[in-house]
Amino acid sequence: MTKYITSERLPELWARLADRGPLYLPVNEGTAVAFRAWEEGKEVNLEAVNSTVSPKEIFLPAWETYLKFERAGKKLALAPADANGLARPVTAFGLRPCDLRAIELLDLVFVEQDPPDELYTRRRKNTTIVALACSQPDPFCFCTAFGIEPTDAPGADVLAWKTGNRLFMEARTPRGEDWLEENSRLLQEAEGVEKPPPVESADFGLALEGLPENLKGRFEDPIWDQIYRSCLGCGICTYICPTCYCFDIQDYGHQEQGERFRCWDSCQFSHYTLTAGGNNPRPTRKERVRNRFLHKLQFYPERYEEFGCVGCGRCLRSCPVGIDMVSVIRALGGETVAR
Amino acid sequence: MPGSFLMPLVVTVKEIVTETPDTKTLRVVGEKGLPFEFQPGQCAMISLPPVGEAIFSITSSPTDREFMEFSIKEAGTVTRALHRITPGQQLGLRGPYGNSFPVESLRGKDLLFIGGGIGLAPLRSLINYCLEKRAEYGQIDIIYGARSPGDLIRKEEINRIWPSVPDTRVHLTVDAKFEGWEGHVGFVPSYLTELAFPPENRMAITCGPPVMIKFVLQALEELKFSPEQVITTLEMRMKCGVGKCGRCNIGSLYVCKDGPVFTRAQLDALPDEY
Repeated sequence: MTKYITSERLPELWARLADRGPLYLPVNEGTAVAFRAWEEGKEVNLEAVNSTVSPKEIFLPAWETYLKFERAGKKLALAPADANGLARPVTAFGLRPCDLRAIELLDLVFVEQDPPDELYTRRRKNTTIVALACSQPDPFCFCTAFGIEPTDAPGADVLAWKTGNRLFMEARTPRGEDWLEENSRLLQEAEGVEKPPPVESADFGLALEGLPENLKGRFEDPIWDQIYRSCLGCGICTYICPTCYCFDIQDYGHQEQGERFRCWDSCQFSHYTLTAGGNNPRPTRKERVRNRFLHKLQFYPERYEEFGCVGCGRCLRSCPVGIDMVSVIRALGGETVAR
Repeated sequence: MPGSFLMPLVVTVKEIVTETPDTKTLRVVGEKGLPFEFQPGQCAMISLPPVGEAIFSITSSPTDREFMEFSIKEAGTVTRALHRITPGQQLGLRGPYGNSFPVESLRGKDLLFIGGGIGLAPLRSLINYCLEKRAEYGQIDIIYGARSPGDLIRKEEINRIWPSVPDTRVHLTVDAKFEGWEGHVGFVPSYLTELAFPPENRMAITCGPPVMIKFVLQALEELKFSPEQVITTLEMRMKCGVGKCGRCNIGSLYVCKDGPVFTRAQLDALPDEY
């Protein structure tokens, strides 16, 4: 089933979708683009190829309270907190194919690896995903190096693409069919067979075959001494990365009552692995940078048989000192043609 | 219930034993005594809001059906708070986490336990499990050391209870000479070398500070223990306990889920980052 809506009617669609349940879509926030719950007045941006912060936060919020506690004398009472966005159906609109692929990689950790993470899994099951095909890759994109089609999103319920003034939407799953049906009042039937226009591949000439095996004996490779040296330890790479998912658990409150929450953490911070006894298995930026890249390129493939990177290019855009996935893969020798 | 995999049970502290100036053992009970089933070597998350959660090895044996015990050294914010509580205090507890000591494949073997300081805590669960099923295991030797005599934990067990069990010996050592201490003086790894147990039909199980573990592994290698005969249990900073929060990985394995118990052979295949 393929339908379309013209650009000027999109605000009507947003309003209708937001009425049904939370609608997350890319909006402008100052100079950044981020996935936020739509409300009247938000400036939707379907042009930006990649949002500044990835849409992983729809499923793994940056900050999430899951438990409330009360203490009275020596008594302790614990109760689950009302989890946001778990009660009503959610629409995630405008995820790029690479970001949707990243969500599927997070599924391996949060849904498929036992025990399933109930907070993540409920959000995932509750959410209809409308992916947005790329019409032109960003200068930093290299998704095709990881086998991702910029104009296709196999895991989406609905695939959307822009052609001129029309936003086409094709259902990919029964849930996607239902979603299109529910909104059919605002949509028009596509005439003939419509397909997303092809876009050029983006891969920076990376050759990834055999890389995880190749990295196995290279934990102590002196190349790591060069790769990490300029790292500032700022952690922006982990914040914007769609496949980084590490989290911390902390309490907030006072002696009588409060809450327990989890929030994003970063393997680039020294406290991340510091034990109370003072031991730190990753004491310097070298070990921390090495862990991050080996996690994506060797450990993830070993554990889940998939690379932990989707080539979204955010680290190329955001790292202040140029320690990004492309430069590191090149330094490790994962390139078809020597420059 | 959303988030129930991170939702602790509420347990009550029944008894607190002051082991050393910096270590206490908490005995906790759930509604039906033992809060949940577990195997020797597994861990649990204890929390005292609003201070937070931390992971501890379960030091009691699963053969104790009425309670669960944790020996806790004061080291950080959570342990400091746990050292300030009194009996009757309720705590959050979730688990069990991780794999466990291979109690089945240890059966019929002579066992050599090598512990340092608070590292006796996880070993104690297995020691008491084996002593409870004494006929199923061979000779049991326990080498245990601490900085000073006052830093040895579980004094009643190491001095009186364990040595009184048939075919069970305890070899104590402290790092330096102390007045009134008539036992062995010296670091655990060198005492191990001195005692020189033959590796035939014997399994070595060790836990202690990371530096002690490294030297113990070396000493066992010199005594010709094969990598499959050496078992250790590791400590890492942990938050979730189920292989998701990320921080306790060594290579592609998570200590909280794939460990904390590893053989030397398994460790040798991993990056040296623990």
